[in-house]
Amino acid sequence: MANQKEYLRNRADSKIGKIVVDRDLCIGAASCIAVSGETYNLDNENKAVVLDPNAADDATLLMSAQSCPTKAIWLFDKSGKQIFPK
Amino acid sequence: MDKSKYVIIGGGAAGVAAAEAIRQIDQNGSLTIVSDEKHALYSRVMLSKPNFFLGKIPFDQVYLKGDDWYRENRINFLGGQTASSVDGVNKIISLTTGEKLPYEKLLLAIGVRARTLNVPGADKSGVHYLRTLEDGKKIMADLKTGKTAVVVGGGFISFEMADLLKLAGLDTTIILREAYFWEPILDEASGLMIENSITKNGLKIIKQAEIAEINGADSVTGVTLKNGRQLSSDLVLCGIGVINQVDWLKSAGLAVNKGILANEYLETNLPAVWVAGDIAEYKDVLLAENVQMGNWVNAREQGRIAGLNMASDQKHQFKFVSFYTTQGLGLTIAFVGDVAPGRDRLIVPRGAPALNSYARLIIVGRELVGATLINRTAELTTIAKLIENNVDVSDHHAALADPDFNLKKLLT
Repeated sequence: MANQKEYLRNRADSKIGKIVVDRDLCIGAASCIAVSGETYNLDNENKAVVLDPNAADDATLLMSAQSCPTKAIWLFDKSGKQIFPK
Repeated sequence: MDKSKYVIIGGGAAGVAAAEAIRQIDQNGSLTIVSDEKHALYSRVMLSKPNFFLGKIPFDQVYLKGDDWYRENRINFLGGQTASSVDGVNKIISLTTGEKLPYEKLLLAIGVRARTLNVPGADKSGVHYLRTLEDGKKIMADLKTGKTAVVVGGGFISFEMADLLKLAGLDTTIILREAYFWEPILDEASGLMIENSITKNGLKIIKQAEIAEINGADSVTGVTLKNGRQLSSDLVLCGIGVINQVDWLKSAGLAVNKGILANEYLETNLPAVWVAGDIAEYKDVLLAENVQMGNWVNAREQGRIAGLNMASDQKHQFKFVSFYTTQGLGLTIAFVGDVAPGRDRLIVPRGAPALNSYARLIIVGRELVGATLINRTAELTTIAKLIENNVDVSDHHAALADPDFNLKKLLT
């Protein structure tokens, strides 16, 4: 599966350096938007896109990824190590 | 059994979100989840997605929590166990095994069941519903050998099944009792957009028809409609709605209507008993009415709020615009807020079926309460915000009806 979109994050108070949305896995359930409407939106293909990778704090981002019913949101730390899903 | 500080009946999205929220506040209070399914939390919404069904996504991707999560969070998971009664005075749950489970605080996140077809032959092998992982596995097995399929119902299960069956290469006919697809939630114009995409993709639809009988010996070989017409079919997939199982709770004195009644804090009428998820018929503060919402985001968010209320002294209000979306056969469909028809609702159409982009904005009084969107899902978040912020749209009906007008302008 190569249909992934990467969003770099550069918040000083954050351990998370990158958000990845797997567009093949994403089904547009929009639970990420329910957790953080500042970070995500749906596009017209009904896939989640990141509007602002720096909008939410780490706890909120983690919750948004955990809420996804298809584990389509992956979080990486600033050294590139995957934080979620474990 | 030992007393648990927190008992959650239901191991789905709402029950697990509640457990997560409880553990944010109270790391050590004893917590038991009773689930009549033996599995750790899995993704109920993935069950109807073609990529999952057709094996393009590894099967194990359906599990959202592993056994380690329950262990690390000190959750006593009673999988494959069914609660049979609640004693709200002495605060004891009885299980069907006869065991007693005392609680301090109880969450009912029991979900709903698939409505079953009540016709002769409905018990034959090859007749399917889609609610649980076990249901999904049975359909997956039958898809491998089936050549023809009948889908019963005109809602989102049958829409997603239609897409899936087409991709799986089965000759498929959809049977609708209604006059058009998704009646009465959608209008006829929206329903026809969906029907056009279904038939364009080579599937057949028979409207205003009902199944009289399922034919075959032990396994399905076809169906007979009430008008006598016969169709041959290797499998029958039913998406004909859900039923609320609340009768077993009435003896506890729990107030129920269709679902379990709750206020805006998701408290039931019984002390120390909360409700969350599909079964909750709660007071919606944005809509100022009692509603029941059956979707993933609503279950997660209600579970979270109920969990916070169970574990903290502060009361958290459930205030949330719910939504869900689906896609397939070249269409994306989204429902936002309250889309139930009737009463004093004014519908403002936005876009047009001929443009293959059509929304209906649902207004009560001066405010939006809901919307249905076909091929306009990018507007979902803005519309949810307009509902949540109680924006007065009474002077903006012309703008709402203009498909090129940017709805975000109404937010400022």
